[in-house]
Amino acid sequence: MMAEKPKQGCLVCQIIGNQIPSKKVYEDEMVMAVLDVNGANPGHCFVMPKNHYPIIEQVPDKEVGRLFQVSNKISTAIFESLGAQGTNIFLANGGPAGQTVAHVTVNVIPRKENDGINLQWQPKQLSEEEMSTVELRMKESAKNVGNFQKDEKKARVQAPKPVVLSEDEEEQFSRQLRRLP
Amino acid sequence: MPEQNINPEQMKALQEKIKQMSPEELKDFQKQQCVFCQIVAGKIQAKKVYEDEQTLGILDINPANPGHILLLTKEHYSIMPQVPDDELAHVFMVVKSLSNSMLRGIDAQGTNVLVANGVSAGQRAQHFMVHVIPRKENDGVNFVLPQKTMGMEEVEAIGNKLIAALGGNAEKEEATPEIQLPKRPPVVPAPASEPKKIGQPKKDDKETPKESKRGIDLDDIAKFLGVK
Repeated sequence: MMAEKPKQGCLVCQIIGNQIPSKKVYEDEMVMAVLDVNGANPGHCFVMPKNHYPIIEQVPDKEVGRLFQVSNKISTAIFESLGAQGTNIFLANGGPAGQTVAHVTVNVIPRKENDGINLQWQPKQLSEEEMSTVELRMKESAKNVGNFQKDEKKARVQAPKPVVLSEDEEEQFSRQLRRLP
Repeated sequence: MPEQNINPEQMKALQEKIKQMSPEELKDFQKQQCVFCQIVAGKIQAKKVYEDEQTLGILDINPANPGHILLLTKEHYSIMPQVPDDELAHVFMVVKSLSNSMLRGIDAQGTNVLVANGVSAGQRAQHFMVHVIPRKENDGVNFVLPQKTMGMEEVEAIGNKLIAALGGNAEKEEATPEIQLPKRPPVVPAPASEPKKIGQPKKDDKETPKESKRGIDLDDIAKFLGVK
């Protein structure tokens, strides 16, 4: 499996390796969470896999599961201890989606009314035909989704391989990341 | 929403009725009222693109971009904190795969994954769902996360509150920042041959920071987070 070890020059790997100090709020063998000191709201946390993966497609299933279980626990803790009126779980995957650091990072953000955050969108108007076309293409593309590698103790007979991007695809993503301001 | 047509007396009667319901009755009632439960049950049509035992993926009728998927749990949960761990892990394994399908199947150049818990966070329906949004350069979607800088004391105070709520001990945390998961659901006893417990932090020396946190350099943190 490629892209696992701490990557030189990766800021997230340096936080995880304690080379850059941070306020940790959670850590286990797969995942670490720290407070974002320049967060969108006080209490904004980053939840990160300890292994280095640039994008979510590269993260093995059970680490994905853990990543979001921990994000959920932090979201619950934000409700309980910070008096938030809401929380967002937000992931930007790839440069055009707003990803700025090439290490998967889930944002858990406390929310209150009129806090200046915008995670809304202007709905795009699609014709019936456009909608049907995208439905068919998406359905076709998603038809092999399944057979997940669960976080179970027993070894599974047919453990599927995690998705590995080809060199070209990874290169493409890195380019997109580099293009960001 | 149907509730808007109810007069105050009817509303009061309804609230009284809800109060007297058992948890099971309440859940059934919520399900009856929930559009997404009716989509899951097939009573309302939707463009389904993915389905398994626990989840259903449909196209959002008000999409941020073409191909925008709402991944729903088939079970009715109002917000994410109510979803059991196993089911939650499954949901996000599906999310990851659907994101991959978007990159490969509909020429997305990136994806956003978004959950809104609570009206203030943008939640519009009382049914837990994950938005998976295909993205392209200059697609007109503009999510804004402003930056609000916190002082050192605020960072410590908020961090320690979160640590305490997560089941850690904020004061002890100075010395041992390894935090355990809060109460996990009861685990079925594992066979004796399997001593390793999932979710327990490794008692590994190299994971224990050598220094206390006193040497935190805010500039270093800012340098990192400024990249965001």
